[in-house]
Parts: sequence; structure tokens; C-alpha cells
Amino acid sequence: MSDDDALGPDMHRPLGFLDAALSADDQDLLDRLLDPASAPSGNGGLARLLAAATAPAAPEELAGEQRVLGEFTAVMRSHPPTLAPRRTAVPRKVLTMKAAAAALVAVLSIGGVAAAASGLLPDQASPVADQATASTGGDAAAQGLGKAAAANLGGTAQSGSAEGQGRASAVGPDATEAARAGLCRAWQAGQGGDHGQRMDAVAFQALAEAAGGADNIAAYCQDVAAGSSADAYRQNPASPPSVSAPPTSVSPPSSGPPADPGSPAGTAPGGHGQGGPPTTTG
Amino acid sequence: MIGPRFPDLLAAAQGGDEQAFAVLWRELQPAVLRYFRVAAGEAAEDLAADTWMSVIRGLGRFRGDERAFRAWIFTLARHRAIDWRRRAGRRPTWVAAEELAEWPAPDDPVLQVLEGQSTRAALALVAELPPDQAEVVALRVLGGLEVAEVARIVGKRPGAVRVLAHRGLRRLARRVEVAGLARGVTR
Repeated sequence: MSDDDALGPDMHRPLGFLDAALSADDQDLLDRLLDPASAPSGNGGLARLLAAATAPAAPEELAGEQRVLGEFTAVMRSHPPTLAPRRTAVPRKVLTMKAAAAALVAVLSIGGVAAAASGLLPDQASPVADQATASTGGDAAAQGLGKAAAANLGGTAQSGSAEGQGRASAVGPDATEAARAGLCRAWQAGQGGDHGQRMDAVAFQALAEAAGGADNIAAYCQDVAAGSSADAYRQNPASPPSVSAPPTSVSPPSSGPPADPGSPAGTAPGGHGQGGPPTTTG
Repeated sequence: MIGPRFPDLLAAAQGGDEQAFAVLWRELQPAVLRYFRVAAGEAAEDLAADTWMSVIRGLGRFRGDERAFRAWIFTLARHRAIDWRRRAGRRPTWVAAEELAEWPAPDDPVLQVLEGQSTRAALALVAELPPDQAEVVALRVLGGLEVAEVARIVGKRPGAVRVLAHRGLRRLARRVEVAGLARGVTR
């Protein structure tokens, strides 16, 4: 098709209405065009086109109902609905503390000084911290978090005691493999907290890198519970979380745009709700 | 739109109520299918079914109102369309009108639109648009989504979405008018 302005000026004549109206918010125009009663004259062709495109459902369009309902019933039967536990307005500071505590325990346990940390942790953080310890304690120690990352995480978690010291030479862990689960839990535990602050940690930067961008972390980490590999994630990025997998995180905010793997959309600001259902607000 | 009943229907569907889910499906399936007819041509039926499987699996964790529900479903649908294009090794152009099968007649779809309502023909015309315009027009018109919602789904700024919708509609209008004038059909 030719470019917008390739047609001669005479071709614009029948479109006088459009030229004037489209400079306004096109929502209004669409509303009018989609309503046959108010469709402006002189624009009948487009109005009819849009009306045809949005005509009431034809029977064949609903022909798959029995099939989809069968699938619905099968899924609901094999995975009885376990509604995600609602977190009732946990104060942001608590979430941030939990994230910091989880990260701290994960790091310290690898260094063999987990016991020393217990006194530092608020009670609230215990369940999350336990998970992080369990999931990172073994394999991750072998090839996961490096000491530099540990120092960096510790600095962040203890709010300043080691702030920035390890940053220049810090190397993030290999977030695609053994350390993934622990990093994800630490990251998820703090979801809803201050992203900017958390993303300062080199370990989380490595996580972002493995996920293909900071905005993809949520989706990347959704696979952790199921134990699927990073490759599986990449091949099927839009698959939603399994109903049977109880989410361990605060769900991502609904405002996140879908991360679009491999395209610039994937790094759009504020988005980490790839494929997952939006939550609340709206 | 389903309206005030939506929260109850959603809750029932999340609890496994088949009839409640059927209402949600009937409300949105035509729009999802038409979106795919524009975005993926002959694969539309399969991709719509895949999308609903994703919806079913993620339903228990969805939180939000009806608008958010629509936006979520079209987010899933768009991912399916992108995956499909990637798997099929297609260039990132949307399907050409000629590839859309099963026309009642080999006529220009414009004439079908002008002479009688033909949803498939209208969708074929939308699919003729440049890919980014077609996508935005499909989500706005077929999906019934607002500018801000489309912007989030496609990862563009609202202003860019407005411009694309504007250009797409203009191009469609021109296409219809030109073909109509050639046949002396327009009013």
C-alpha cells in the first residue's frame, strides 16, 4: 500500500470529516463510528466497515464452546482452584525488610554463617528466609553466588554497613542456573517494595540479565516453583502460571505491560507482568 | 461488556463454575477470534483456543475488574500471536488479505463490506494495514480496549497508539472510499 500522503490531494476530499475529527481523541471518533445511529455522514464506508468488524457474534464463532468448557472442567478437576492467598495490605516497609532479610540469609548461609544472621531478622521474615536458605544452600554454593555478590547483597540488606564497597568489582551470580531459585525468592519476597533500591544489587542485576530485562523478572521467576528451566521459559514466555502452583510472591501490579520477548516492548518501563494475570486496581 | 455481574461471574468461574466461565467465554471469544483473524489469519481458531487454555490456567490468580480482564486476555492473545509468527518463521508482517481463506466470492473485500455486512471481509481489510497500525486498530476496535490499555499491551506510548489508530483508520477510510467511488457504491 502506498504511503499516507502518496495519494493526490483530491483523494482527501471525501475524508474531510476524518481529517478534522481525528485530530481530537480518536476514542470519541471510534465511539461515534461504531454507533450506526451517530455515524457521521460522508464517512459511511468506514463506519460500515467498523460496524461489520464488530458485528454480533456469528454462530460459528461460538462453535467451540463445548470444547473449551470441557477443557475448563478438566483443568479445574485436575487442579482444584486454590485461590492465591491474598496479602492484606502489608506495609511496604515490611516487604522491603523481608526482601532484605531473605537476601541476607541466602547469602550468609552460603558463607556458613547463617546462624549469626538469625538475631538480625525480624520475625516476619522467617518463612521467606527459610525458603531462601533451603533453596540456595546446596547447589548454589558450588557455582552460584560469588563472594563479591555476597558482599554487595549484604551491603544492601544491612542498609549501609557495607554499602557500595563491593560494587566496582562485584560479579553477579549466574542467575540462570543454581542461584535462580534463591534469587527469585528473594526478589519475589520484596515485590511491591522499592524496585530501584533492590535493583541496585548486583545479584538482582544478574537476575534481570538472565530474565532478559528487569521487567521480565516476575515472569522469569514464576517458573521457579514448577522447577522448569530457563530454556523452557524462553521458548514459551507467555504461558501463565499453573493454577496448582501456589504463588509465593505478591502478585505483580496490573499496570505492567506485557513483556514482549525479543522486542523493545519487553523493556518498557514499569512492566513485569508478562503473561501473568494482572491484579487488583484497574 | 458484562457489567455489574462481572465480579460474581469471575468469582464463580474461579471457583470452578462452568456456566459462569461460559458467560465470560461467550462475551470475549468473538473478539479474541477476530483479533486473531487479523493477526494470524488461518491460525485464528487454534490460537484462540490456546489463548483460552492460558486463561483457564491463570484464572485463579487473576485479580481485577472487567476492563482489566479484557486487557489481560488480549495480552495473552498477543503473546500467542507473536509466538505463532516466530514459530512459523514469518516476517513480522501481518497476514495479507489474500491469505485469508474462505471468501464467499473472490471480490475485493471492500465491496463485500459496502454491499452487505461481512465481518470476515472487514477483518481482512484491517489485516491489510501495515502491521503496527493493524495491531492497534484490532486491539482498539475489536478488543474494545482504550488507548492506555492498548499502549500497555503493545509497549508503546499512548500518543504513539493514538497516531497509529489515526493512521490506520484514515487508511481504511481511504481504501473504502476509493474502492467505493470506483464502483459508484458510496452515498
